[in-house]
Amino acid sequence: MDLATSVAAETDPRGFPSPARDYFHGGIDLNRHLIRDRTSTFVMRVSGNSMAGTGIADGDEIIVDRSLPPRDGCVVVAVVDGELLVRRFLRHNDGQPALSTEPSPPAAGQLAKPSELTVWGVVTRCLHHV
Amino acid sequence: MSQDRIALVDVNNFYVSCERVFDPLLEGRPVVVLSNNDGCVVARSAEAKALGIATGTPWFQLQAQARAWGLMARSSNYELYGDMSARVMEVVGRFGTWQEVYSIDESFVGLTGTPEQLGKTGEDIRAAVDLHVGVPVCVGIAATKTLAKFANRIAKQNPGLGGVCDLGAMPAGHADAIQHRVPVSGLWGVGGRTAARLKLMGIETIAELRAADPALIRKKFSVVLQRTVMELNGTECIPHTEERADKQQIMFSRSFSAPVTTVGAMEEVMAVYAQKAAARMHDDGLRASAMTVTAGTSRFAGGEGSFPAVTVRFPVPTQDPIVLVRAAVAAMRGSTVPGAAYLRAGVMFSGLEPADGPEMLDVFGSGTGASQPGVGGVLGEVRGRFGSQAIGIGLGGLAAQPGWTMKREHSSPRYTTEWAELPIVKA
Repeated sequence: MDLATSVAAETDPRGFPSPARDYFHGGIDLNRHLIRDRTSTFVMRVSGNSMAGTGIADGDEIIVDRSLPPRDGCVVVAVVDGELLVRRFLRHNDGQPALSTEPSPPAAGQLAKPSELTVWGVVTRCLHHV
Repeated sequence: MSQDRIALVDVNNFYVSCERVFDPLLEGRPVVVLSNNDGCVVARSAEAKALGIATGTPWFQLQAQARAWGLMARSSNYELYGDMSARVMEVVGRFGTWQEVYSIDESFVGLTGTPEQLGKTGEDIRAAVDLHVGVPVCVGIAATKTLAKFANRIAKQNPGLGGVCDLGAMPAGHADAIQHRVPVSGLWGVGGRTAARLKLMGIETIAELRAADPALIRKKFSVVLQRTVMELNGTECIPHTEERADKQQIMFSRSFSAPVTTVGAMEEVMAVYAQKAAARMHDDGLRASAMTVTAGTSRFAGGEGSFPAVTVRFPVPTQDPIVLVRAAVAAMRGSTVPGAAYLRAGVMFSGLEPADGPEMLDVFGSGTGASQPGVGGVLGEVRGRFGSQAIGIGLGGLAAQPGWTMKREHSSPRYTTEWAELPIVKA
C-alpha cells in the first residue's frame, strides 16, 4: 500500500516519463507523516456511527498499525465473532481487556470476553470527512 | 560460538493466509483459492487439505459438496498477495545479514549467532511477521540452503516445534533419523524423474543421497544434483542466483554492481528484467496473470530506505513481452524515489497458466493490451535503448475472439492497493 502512488495515474499512454519527474521531489508526503512502519500499517473504511463520540464517523478512513501494543484507552480494530470492529480498548480494574464505544469503561454486561477478543491493530489516525 | 547460518522463511498456505487477515470468518474453516477464471484449486488451508482436496482440483467438482463441508472459495487476488508479500519480505529482511527473495512467499536470509540466538531469531521472525502482517510463517535454519529447506519442511510437518526448526540444535541423531526415513523427492530441487533414476542406483532416502559419491553423482546426473549432495553434507555451494521458475512463479531479480539512483535508470532495469523473465515464461509455454516488480535500497546505509513493490494484474493472462515490459516500467516509474540508491530489483510473474491457444483480446481496454495505440513507440524506445535484440514482437494479441470476461465470482476486495476497496470495519 502506498498512498502517494497509483499505477494507473503514472501510466502515460505513450510510455514516456514526464521530463520534470526526475526533478520533482514532492511536497508533503503523507506516507512519511502518517505511516510509522509501512509493513504493519493498513487503511480501513469505517461503517457505522457508534464511534462518533470519538470523532470517527461513518465513511471515514482510519489508519491502523498492527505492530503497536494496545494501551488502555486507545482505539483499536478488534476481531469479534469473525467481524472487524472499531472500538475503544479499555482495561477493567481487574486487568481484563474490554471493548467499548465510549471513552469510559463499559458496564459489566457489555464486556467482550477476553477469549473472544483479538486486537487486530491500533488506530493511529482518522481521516475524517468534513 | 557464533555461526553463520541460512534460514528459509516461508508463509504457510500464503494465499489463504492473506485472505484470512481481512476476513476473520475464514479462520478455522476449509478455504481454497482458485486459479484464473475460477478454474481449479491453487491454494488450500490446512482444513481443506484435511478434507483431501488436492491442488489442481477443478472447482466445479467441489461445488456440490462445498456447502456441506463449509468450504469457502476465493478467486485469486494477486494485488493483495503481491502487497502482502512485499510486507512479509521487508519484515523478514530486517533480521538477516542478507536476503534472497525466492518466491512470492519464501526468502532465504543470512543469520549469525550462537545456537541459542539462532533459535531465538527464528522465533522472533515468526512473531514479527505475525504481528506486522498477520500471516503465519515457518522458519528452517541450517548451514546450507538445501538443509534450510529441509529444516523448514520439518518445522511445517511437526506442529510441536512451534514453526521453527534449527537443524543444528536438534537432539543428536534426530535429523539423521528423519533423513533415513524421508525419500529424496522430499528434497529441494529433486524431481520425480531424478528420484526414479536414483532408486535404480539404490539411493532412495535423503541419508543415502547424502552418503553418495559427489563425483559419481555429477557424472551420472548433473552438477546440480552434485551440489545437493554437497549441501546435504554441510558445504554451502548453491549460489544466490536469485532466479526461479516453476509452475507457480517465474522470477528474475538481481543485485546491482553499482547503485541505481535515477528513475530513468530504474526504468531501463525494469525493461531488461521484464524481458528476461518474459523470455523464460515464453520458453516454458506459460502466461502470467499478474506481475510484481520490486526494488530495494540498502537497509544498512544511512538515510531513509525505499522498498517499492507494485503488483499489476493483467486484464487477461499474457506472455506478450511488450505488455509485460510496459507494465513493469510504468509500475516502477511511479514508485521509485529519485536520488535513492537502489541496490537490487526484481520482476516476478505469478498466476501462471499454460499458454495453449491464442491470447485473449483485452476486452476491457485497460491500456495494458498490445492492441492499444502507442505500443510501437514503446517498442522503438526499448529497441533504441537496448538494441534490436532487446525485445521481440509479441505472439498473441489479436487472434482470439472476444466475448467472455474473466470469471472472478469469489473475489475478495483488493484491500491494500485500491482506495475504493479498503477493508470495512464496523463502528
